[in-house]
Amino acid sequence: MKRTLTATLALSLAAGPVWAEGTVNVLTWEGYTDASFIAKFEEDSGCKVSATYVGSNDDFAPKLMSGGGVYDLITPSIDTTALMIDLGVVEPLDTAALAGWNDIYPKFLALEGIQRDGAYYGMPYSWGAIAFMYRKDAFTTPPTSIADLWNPELAGKISLWDDKSAIYVAARKNGDMDIYNLTDAQIENAKAALVEQKPLVRKYWATAGELVDLYKAGEVVISNTWAGYQSSLLAAEGIEVVEFIPTEGAEGWMDAWMVVKETPNKECAYKFLNMQLSEQGQCGVANVNGYSAVNAAAAKACMSPEQFAALHQDDPDYLDSLFIWTPLGERFEAYTNAWNAVKAQ
Amino acid sequence: MTLLRRHLAGVLVLGIPLAWIVIFMLVPYAIIGTYSFWTKTYPTFQPDFQFGNYATLFTDPQYLQVLLRTLKISALVSVASLALAYPFAYWLVFRCRSAGVRTWLYMAVIAPLWVSYLLRAYIWKTILGTEGILNSFLMWAGFTDAPSDIFLYNQFAMILTLTYIFIPFMVMPIYTALERIPPNLAEASADLGQTPWQTFRKVTLPLSTPGIAAGFTLTFCLSFGDFIAPFLVGGPDGNLIAGVIQTQFGSALNWPLGSALSIVMLVIVLSIVSLSDRLERSSRIGAH
Repeated sequence: MKRTLTATLALSLAAGPVWAEGTVNVLTWEGYTDASFIAKFEEDSGCKVSATYVGSNDDFAPKLMSGGGVYDLITPSIDTTALMIDLGVVEPLDTAALAGWNDIYPKFLALEGIQRDGAYYGMPYSWGAIAFMYRKDAFTTPPTSIADLWNPELAGKISLWDDKSAIYVAARKNGDMDIYNLTDAQIENAKAALVEQKPLVRKYWATAGELVDLYKAGEVVISNTWAGYQSSLLAAEGIEVVEFIPTEGAEGWMDAWMVVKETPNKECAYKFLNMQLSEQGQCGVANVNGYSAVNAAAAKACMSPEQFAALHQDDPDYLDSLFIWTPLGERFEAYTNAWNAVKAQ
Repeated sequence: MTLLRRHLAGVLVLGIPLAWIVIFMLVPYAIIGTYSFWTKTYPTFQPDFQFGNYATLFTDPQYLQVLLRTLKISALVSVASLALAYPFAYWLVFRCRSAGVRTWLYMAVIAPLWVSYLLRAYIWKTILGTEGILNSFLMWAGFTDAPSDIFLYNQFAMILTLTYIFIPFMVMPIYTALERIPPNLAEASADLGQTPWQTFRKVTLPLSTPGIAAGFTLTFCLSFGDFIAPFLVGGPDGNLIAGVIQTQFGSALNWPLGSALSIVMLVIVLSIVSLSDRLERSSRIGAH
């Protein structure tokens, strides 16, 4: 009996230190904690990464509002980061503890959505465009405009992202280019355009996997897409799709890591953030999801020249041409309400 | 001591289920009911007592539109299920001679309930799709030259999928109701010179009304609250009420409006249940 007790005690003492090194719980997009680069981090840091995936930016608020203490880090996009700050669920970052912070493209550090009262709440991580995409074998003349998603000849072969971004798309088609500051009348016009388009739409896609399935099953030939992601998944399935930025321009997005207020796992969280901003994390996500990197120095160091060019890392004009998502604040309701009204028709 | 023990047993047997109902049913209803009077203010919502959310539901046409569509789809699913389930159950009970065949066929209808709902709904996608099984068959059989996209991503696909999924809930109560009818009633009716059709109309059908009412209520209410079928096989015109509620709690971050919508939905479902209950009871009284 006594020997068992001693053995148990010894065992628990030996197991103790491994235990104490802790975990970091992240609520994030698929691919952002891919084993290809996270396994090494877990080994190096002794921090176990436990990930829960979201399907949309809309998942962050409900998950965090239903009580804290579950997640340590989250990765909302730049249109949702301000909401997280407003909700009071995230805390300011200690940017001095983040090596590589000064290598982030200045354009991203200038974004208002990740800062408040002189403090940064979000660490830029990856970016890309909401490009458009078509099936190569379905077109003789490649589409170049958003108006091609309103082409009656493509009836039943069109898909559009089930998101308030549909309003941004329709507004640009209408020639309203200040898409994040639309007036009520402009939103009404965008709504009318989407209602007009509705009979041509096969299905509004809600998840990345759903859009891939729609192309794979031959249901749709043109849609918008998260540039780099679904097209590479489709390429792996042997379906050739081409991404394009329409003449009306495309929206751009950036995802940022945010630290959940009063996390008990701060040490592991900062180790994790440092890794994500380093070559390991920056090229990790570029290789897995096909998204561009925010750390200019890291991208230069770990990408091949081809990948560096393909992800527009050397092309500041490309970034400037994108309509980077902006928090809508009080106007958020007007946009979502208009999109819901379109779907209700 | 024995008194205490008896008391304890009573507390356990009745108290735990009661606590369960209070904690997991009544309290959530109360919370949803409370939320429905709150006000949405960016970034979230705040305690209040006002009827604005309910007013929105009845003044903004989008909610009424979806509500009516959901009622229509649920009604069509129930009617389709009834049209298929009644003759089947009738045949099983009165015409099928072999008890073994009857059991096997009955089980065949019930068995899909053991397969995940999600999986069954998903499979309809592969059947109805443009390059799906149905189109391949039609082209192989020479009925069509080109694949058609009319089978999937529309209201027809939703009604078909929901009917397939919920039909066991129609078969079971009707089968049970028909099985309970004593066979000598039909014989007596025939002896009194009634034709089989008159017997069915005047004896069998009235006696099976409780089963029809129960089946109709189940299929209707299940379809009414469904949000998987619209997501998987519904098209752009397939938004149903449960999906709208989900949007209000998710992307719109308008829990008060979502709660008001849930309360309206609850009231509709409860009215249907009590209506069917009344119908069942009156038909039982009529039978005596």
